[in-house]
Amino acid sequence: MASTLRLYLTCIRNTLEAAMCLQNFPCQEVERHNKPEVELKTSPELLLNPVLICRNEAEKCLIETSINSIRISLKVKQADELENILAKKFLRFLSMRAEAFQVLRRKPVQGYDISFLITNYHCEELQKQKLIDFIVQFMEDIDKEISELKMSVSTRGRLVATEFLKQF
Amino acid sequence: MASFERASPALKEILLRIYNAEKPIEVDHHLYEFGSVEYHIKSSVSEPQVTYLSISTPFLSQGVFLSYGLSPFTLKMVRQISTDVLHIVEPANDGYQLTLRLDFSKLPHNKESLNIITEVSSVQAVILSSQLKEMLQNVNSGDSSQGMYKPIKLIYHPKEPFYVIRQPQKIVAVFPMRFKDNSDVIIATSFFQELIDVVSLKKWAKVPPCNWSPIPPLELRGEPFEDLSTNGGFVSFDISSHHVEGKRLDKIVWSLLNFYAYVKHHVKCTRGFIQRRMRRGLDNLIEVLEKSRVEDGQIKKVQGWKKMRKMVASKSKMIKRRWGDLGKKIKRIRFRIKIHGFARFRRRWLKMPSFSSSTGYTKLQTNGNNN
Repeated sequence: MASTLRLYLTCIRNTLEAAMCLQNFPCQEVERHNKPEVELKTSPELLLNPVLICRNEAEKCLIETSINSIRISLKVKQADELENILAKKFLRFLSMRAEAFQVLRRKPVQGYDISFLITNYHCEELQKQKLIDFIVQFMEDIDKEISELKMSVSTRGRLVATEFLKQF
Repeated sequence: MASFERASPALKEILLRIYNAEKPIEVDHHLYEFGSVEYHIKSSVSEPQVTYLSISTPFLSQGVFLSYGLSPFTLKMVRQISTDVLHIVEPANDGYQLTLRLDFSKLPHNKESLNIITEVSSVQAVILSSQLKEMLQNVNSGDSSQGMYKPIKLIYHPKEPFYVIRQPQKIVAVFPMRFKDNSDVIIATSFFQELIDVVSLKKWAKVPPCNWSPIPPLELRGEPFEDLSTNGGFVSFDISSHHVEGKRLDKIVWSLLNFYAYVKHHVKCTRGFIQRRMRRGLDNLIEVLEKSRVEDGQIKKVQGWKKMRKMVASKSKMIKRRWGDLGKKIKRIRFRIKIHGFARFRRRWLKMPSFSSSTGYTKLQTNGNNN
């Protein structure tokens, strides 16, 4: 199980290292505007082929690249209903605080749980290798956080049930 | 641990104020709780040590008790609160099911008085729990000639009825669970599964067995549809005669009456707990991102540029690079507040200084004669 995760993350890391070659490119359609081309998708010549990396049916990563921006969308594993609501709550919580992350998109791409948008400006402010490390670390930490949350909720439920039964 | 007090805090405060008053005070106070419980507290200066307390509360089971008022068992339970201090006035005041005459002169002059006043303040809980106690006390005395016993609908919290079904050798208490939010349903369902797991352990063999089902049990199939439409399933407790022996009866009754409140309190606390954990997770994730920032003056370690690092030795070139980075940052800063004339100021005074190159030359002015 851990080995498939390692392979999955390594594949994503290698793809990001190849894809994150961004440069400043002003908008071709509107003067003095500079827009992330991966979001607009108006000029096909500026877009690269999107790459979809699937660990299994439930977990996948979509990497869409353009000349000046890259969009990474993640689908996180949700084994049961409890994990489903915990993942939904946590990722929505993070998305609502996207300004703290800078590279996080406020709304995920349809069909995915969370999305990042990295532009050439981010690559100038932040170190590329560490940015990739952050994305990969984020994926690991999200899985870990959701599993820990689920375990904590179950443990709390058990403790509360025990306390309730002590009253009888 | 949630504490579901039996005593009404407001009623207790008023009674304590009357008891502790230095001079006799005139009190005529109406108190409302939970939307349907009403208290009337009356104390006059002419009878300083006597206070009249009237209570109006909806009964647990509307059909059985309404026509007869309070049952003798309930009146007996109320008298047992304190035989010296409390006397039941018959008939009760208009609009109330019970009127009590409290004689504060009979209260002991020590801490015991506080306990008695607390017990008096819990008279509403005593009335409601006595009705359920009466049903549970007769666990084994059910009429076995009837094949299927009709479930009795009890309402402790408004809009949250639960059912008590008498069966041979046991009584089943069924709680239809309803929640407003889908996430509440899932948290509660997870709690019910843990409850069933814990009850099945040997350590808890003496507690009433507990079951959860997403569909209504067979015994409730004839009940109105609106009472059986739930999103949290049905929790049932099987209560046998040995569960209600002695002091256990009072505990089991209070636990059953407050089961809804307990579950809702747990769901609310779990949501708060999840929120706190998410905030902590957010802080941990942001820390990782902060480490990837490029600091001022830091030489970027990029492969293939190691030789260039050695070549960049002169101080002037280092200063020039720092000014360049700073200039880029200044240009990239977006000013939210626009100051009139600042753009001109910036162009004139915050311009990058030009350094004279060590390899450059100064062009000499020619006089027009080339020698």
